[in-house]
Amino acid sequence: MSRQDHIREFAAQALSEGRVDYFIGWKEGFNPSEVIPAFVKEVAQVDQLLWNPLCHHNLVTFLKRNMPDPPEAKIGVCVKGCDSRTLVALLQEQLVDRERLYVVGVPCDGIMDRRRLEKEFAEEIVDIAFSEKGQVVVTTRSGEKREFDQQAVLLDMCTRCRYPNPLYADDMAGPAVPEPDREESQPDWSDLADYEALSDDGKQELLARIYATCVRCFACINVCPVCVCWDRCVNRSRQPELVSQKVETKSNLLFQMVHMFHVAGRCPSCGACDRACPVEIPLYLLHRKMNKELYDMFGFEPGTKLDEKPVFQVFNLADQFGD
Amino acid sequence: MAERPVKIIGIVCNWCSYAGADTAGVGRYKQPPNVRLVRVPCTGRIDPLFALKAFEKGADGVLISGCHPGDCHYSEGNYYARRKFELAERMIHHLGIPKERFRWTWVSASEGQRWQQVVTEFVAAVEKLGPREGRAL
Repeated sequence: MSRQDHIREFAAQALSEGRVDYFIGWKEGFNPSEVIPAFVKEVAQVDQLLWNPLCHHNLVTFLKRNMPDPPEAKIGVCVKGCDSRTLVALLQEQLVDRERLYVVGVPCDGIMDRRRLEKEFAEEIVDIAFSEKGQVVVTTRSGEKREFDQQAVLLDMCTRCRYPNPLYADDMAGPAVPEPDREESQPDWSDLADYEALSDDGKQELLARIYATCVRCFACINVCPVCVCWDRCVNRSRQPELVSQKVETKSNLLFQMVHMFHVAGRCPSCGACDRACPVEIPLYLLHRKMNKELYDMFGFEPGTKLDEKPVFQVFNLADQFGD
Repeated sequence: MAERPVKIIGIVCNWCSYAGADTAGVGRYKQPPNVRLVRVPCTGRIDPLFALKAFEKGADGVLISGCHPGDCHYSEGNYYARRKFELAERMIHHLGIPKERFRWTWVSASEGQRWQQVVTEFVAAVEKLGPREGRAL
């Protein structure tokens, strides 16, 4: 049975037994290269649920405080490995109610970079087909067909993934996928190497160029599953105005840094913000770096242990920081 | 035109470093006039955003100081704070702001001389780099 069948079966069971009010999964989008979140309320609708390497959305976003509608709804949700880390991070701080959740874990072989795929072709993509062997066949409007190896068009962060299997789930959709040996191997931060090799002035120049394009649409913040005080966000506050509402380079960078600091210790670099950004700002430069430093400081990987407290909510007398 | 003097924002806790700066003043220790102090209840109150905001608004350096670990007026504020500051320091450096422009340290109420030393060193380091111009943050 494929993972997709598992998801449909679990959803149908949970819905028919009344264990959930609705089930959140992925369904076909409005164009073939995009998958969108699906909210399934009836058993008859479970056939629209799907699973393929385009399902990049982190559905934990919809569990955020004040987000479920109605607030006391019982919800079923699908999570990939990285999504489950955001869910664990929320559970660590009691930001979601475990009793009202039904979690289906989906072991993940990596998610495809839709934007990169689209840029490969001059024309519109009309069909994307997936084979069992991990091949992707893309058809464009004029009938051009090209075959890709799925591993070759993965999102950059999926190639460095250490937790492809969900860490927290009530049911697993299919067998686990092979994982790297986490005891032996260190996280791979090589995606930051180019940036870190720059001089201070070089970094400032590059950031100025990158953040000049931010339109402050708040997509990164709205889509972030662990950015939880969004109804009282300092970025949106006008009185007092701590972060200027002006859209200009300096405020844009400050705005993004506020986001980064506020999710520090909770953000597992799931990359939802990178994928949501309409102007393709490489936000991983900030959140990956933050996680790199947290790993360096505490050996801490956010959202990996349910009984652990995030590093900024606890302290240790033996900490060796400062002079 | 001569270079403008550097502007430094000092964010200090009410109970130790602010009193320490006061001690330095009362003791008439000579110190550079470039530091503007912001007094907060505790270093635990200091959000890294304060430092970033200061840089955004044109500060050339940010100095954060509070009670020594173990001496916090609220018992444990600075234990939380030092974790935050360590990350803040690394992230600020990551943005291409040189390490010399951001410093956090501990100065107690009786350490007027230490305050003088910290400020003098920090201002000298920032003056060496000069005012910040054409910056991303």
